[in-house]
Amino acid sequence: MTQVRLVNVTRRYGKTTAVDRISADIADGEFVTLLGPSGCGKTTTLRMVAGLVEPSEGEIWFDDQMVNDVPTNRRHIGLAFQSHALFPHLTVARNVAFGLEVKGTPKEQIQQRVAEMLAMIEMSDYGDRLPAQLSGGQQQRVALARMLATDPRVLLFDEPLSALDRNLRDTLKYSILDLQRRSKKTAIYVTHDQSEAFAISDRIFVMHKGRIEQAGTQLDIYLRPESEFVANFVGDNNALHGTVTREVRDHDGQRRVEVESGGIRLLATDTGALRPGDRAIAFVRPETIEIVGDGEGRDDPYVVEGKVTQVVFEGPTVRLMVDADGTPLLVEIGGLPRLSLLDSDAKRIRLRPRSVSAVADRSAVPA
Amino acid sequence: MAQAALENEARELDGTGWLARLGFEERTWRGLGLLAPAILVAVLFSLIPLIYLVQISLTEKSSFFFNASYTLANYREVFDRYQSTIRETVFLATVSSLLDLVFGYPFAYILIRKVRYREFARTMMTFPLFGTLYLAFGLFYILLPNGPFGSILARWDISLAPYLFSLPATLFGMMVFTFPFMVMNVGAALSNVDPTLEEAAKTLGAKPWQTFVRVLFPLSWSGVLAGFLMCFGWNLGVFVVPLLLGRPQEQNVISVVMYDKGLVQFNYGLAGALGVVLMALAFGVSWLSLRLSRGALGA
Amino acid sequence: MSVSTASTLSAEARPSPEPRRWLRPGAVIDVLAHAYVWFWLAVFAMPFLATLFYSLQASGGQGGFSLDAYVYVLGSFKDNLLLSFETTVATIIINLLIAVPAAYAIVRYPIPGKSFLLSFLNLSLYTPAAVMGMSLVIAYAYLFRIPQTITGLIAAYVVGTFPLMLVPIIVALRDLPITFEEAAKTLGANRAQSFLRIELPLLGPGISAGILLTFVIIFNEFLVTLFVAGPGTTTAALRVYTLTRTAGFQPSTAALATTMQLVSFLVVLLFFQVFGSRYLKGTYLI
Repeated sequence: MTQVRLVNVTRRYGKTTAVDRISADIADGEFVTLLGPSGCGKTTTLRMVAGLVEPSEGEIWFDDQMVNDVPTNRRHIGLAFQSHALFPHLTVARNVAFGLEVKGTPKEQIQQRVAEMLAMIEMSDYGDRLPAQLSGGQQQRVALARMLATDPRVLLFDEPLSALDRNLRDTLKYSILDLQRRSKKTAIYVTHDQSEAFAISDRIFVMHKGRIEQAGTQLDIYLRPESEFVANFVGDNNALHGTVTREVRDHDGQRRVEVESGGIRLLATDTGALRPGDRAIAFVRPETIEIVGDGEGRDDPYVVEGKVTQVVFEGPTVRLMVDADGTPLLVEIGGLPRLSLLDSDAKRIRLRPRSVSAVADRSAVPA
Repeated sequence: MAQAALENEARELDGTGWLARLGFEERTWRGLGLLAPAILVAVLFSLIPLIYLVQISLTEKSSFFFNASYTLANYREVFDRYQSTIRETVFLATVSSLLDLVFGYPFAYILIRKVRYREFARTMMTFPLFGTLYLAFGLFYILLPNGPFGSILARWDISLAPYLFSLPATLFGMMVFTFPFMVMNVGAALSNVDPTLEEAAKTLGAKPWQTFVRVLFPLSWSGVLAGFLMCFGWNLGVFVVPLLLGRPQEQNVISVVMYDKGLVQFNYGLAGALGVVLMALAFGVSWLSLRLSRGALGA
Repeated sequence: MSVSTASTLSAEARPSPEPRRWLRPGAVIDVLAHAYVWFWLAVFAMPFLATLFYSLQASGGQGGFSLDAYVYVLGSFKDNLLLSFETTVATIIINLLIAVPAAYAIVRYPIPGKSFLLSFLNLSLYTPAAVMGMSLVIAYAYLFRIPQTITGLIAAYVVGTFPLMLVPIIVALRDLPITFEEAAKTLGANRAQSFLRIELPLLGPGISAGILLTFVIIFNEFLVTLFVAGPGTTTAALRVYTLTRTAGFQPSTAALATTMQLVSFLVVLLFFQVFGSRYLKGTYLI
């Protein structure tokens, strides 16, 4: 029902710019995650949407209403805090009822709605408890119920799970997704945890230094990073600095570029507009590197040979450090083949990197 | 904007260079509005009267209400004729505060390290804080020859009567009144000292007194200083304790003399000058203690 | 006490085959340490107990106890006590009205020169009572023209004690995470609703600590009162003072002093029972 639009939203604190000219369109019912390291401006952005922080510049729109001047209490939003922020002096039921009470909703309606909400989070018997008498997961569930009770237009989540332990985080993130899907409300979720972001989002905005570095689906972010930061922040990555040697048309007609780094040649998807001669960084996910058997790929120019320097058994996967003519490569092998690699230390091995992507290397000093 | 941001970082960073922008942001004005009643009360009933007191102390006798002519005569008189008063006040305050330290330090140490009935001890310690009046009243009665202990102590041929109007009784009364302040400050400092440090010193072969001199006391020094200055500040204003328990010599303290000169003899100029001297002493001590301890509020 | 412990130690420690724990030298030191604490606790309570004892003594006769002296408390002292309660309650209410917004501004608003301002508001705490009394008595007489009035008396109490209200509320407010206010806001509460429903209840202990401090100090204040009060405004504490100075030691005076301390003590006790002493940190009462 509500579309959220940010237009050049900026927030400065003194001389520091926390959020720098962010623009974004979030569709009605979409679940968007702001993902980034601490200090990247994601929380400040969320708080500006909530009205708890005033933008220094720019506009925030809910549908066709500019809400910059609408105080928080009249924005009809729901915000889940990192600390759950349940009022410690009020019972669970009174906490859930709070938003309805301050609105002046009739008593019976409040009671009915509170019962409904408590049933939804499967805590109907806990109405008379105080927040301090609940477990961490229960507290956060009550906080969610409290936030949904007033039927807000937009749901905002400020790292709601970061204070909980791992198992609880895993179950609760799916409950949050479920609640959002059922209520069909627009949601903005802030986190620094990529597995959380990947699990629940329709789209992810990776933020860095106050800017949105890349906005896209999980697949875009993971396999087609548009900047070095995104490539390195999301998951493990091998970053190979080199030069574009030529453009290649794939058999399916897609344009690719060949990047040479050290003695290694890679065929990479180009997310920008790289030309031969450009400095570039090629990214290879450790788990997208295949082991090539002795007999095959003799004339494949993109097969890399190297010496294994370290083998770590991590259970479902085996991690290898490979020295390919001076370039260190991290390789992750899963499935049954991994077991044959356990004694591969100091042996030579042949690899074929797949799903390589390349971006322009901005760190290189232009000649 | 009505609901502006309430962010920690915002508060800290926005605070920089406020002088440069003479127009404060709106939130600052709202805050000052909330503070206005407090400021008004402090200005009207604390600042203005004190300035008035200074002014009257600088005014020639009885010229105040007509065309005031200013003079230092009152201060000259204070330093000529009432030097002993100032000396006595400072002497009593110093000695009683030192006694607080000597007896209060071990008390605070035991309280922090060994005592489980701390809440009870705190409750009992509130008695002196109800004021010097009841304290002096009770002590006076205890010291009376026919008081509650008189007959008991008489069996061992001990009589408290010689102490009834005396320096020790006065000092004791003052000391008991400020004892909790010392315990509070030293206790706060000691509770920040990790007990394992003492154990470490012990395992390294330090004797108890060495542990105290080399580890405990240096680490609790800030509390000792704060406590001493606080006690001293309070004891400077001593009034009823010497009146009830002291000899005329002990009653020669600034507050008592000031009351006599001001409200009995209506010599406002002289009383004002004495008041300013006392105020200067007290403010000096408070300022020092705030500088040294960075106050309980840490503001 | 120490002598007897030492002698039992030398007499019993040797023959006993398995050493009894409380006879170790460490145990002796512990006993002495606790004895030291109890000695001083007794010293604190002794003046009160002596006064209580005296107030209960039957007048005239040798020995025997009676409550005769307490007849005066509700007799000729009734007006003084009433005045004390009235002025104390009035001071508490005014203090609250001043200190709650001030504490809120100090903690939550960007005020320039905050620490200086706080020191200025605390000015009266550092002023010796006699100096404050003297300055007020002249200012009231010749500047504000309100000599010897209840108004003047209450104003003196307010300026002397509102910082004591301020400090615990500031402590409590600093402890209160700002997310509660933000949560209330996102749930649609306006400023007044958020303050009345969330902050005020959560500040309860801090505010109560302020009330306690004001009560204990004002109810027993006599020195500033001695300067500022007039014949019609004699509080109970001032009455105790003047009686001891003029009438000597009477059981009736002792009864009044006992009553005052008892009331104060019960209030403190009640507070500690309900809230503990946490919010009194950094203030008069430990």
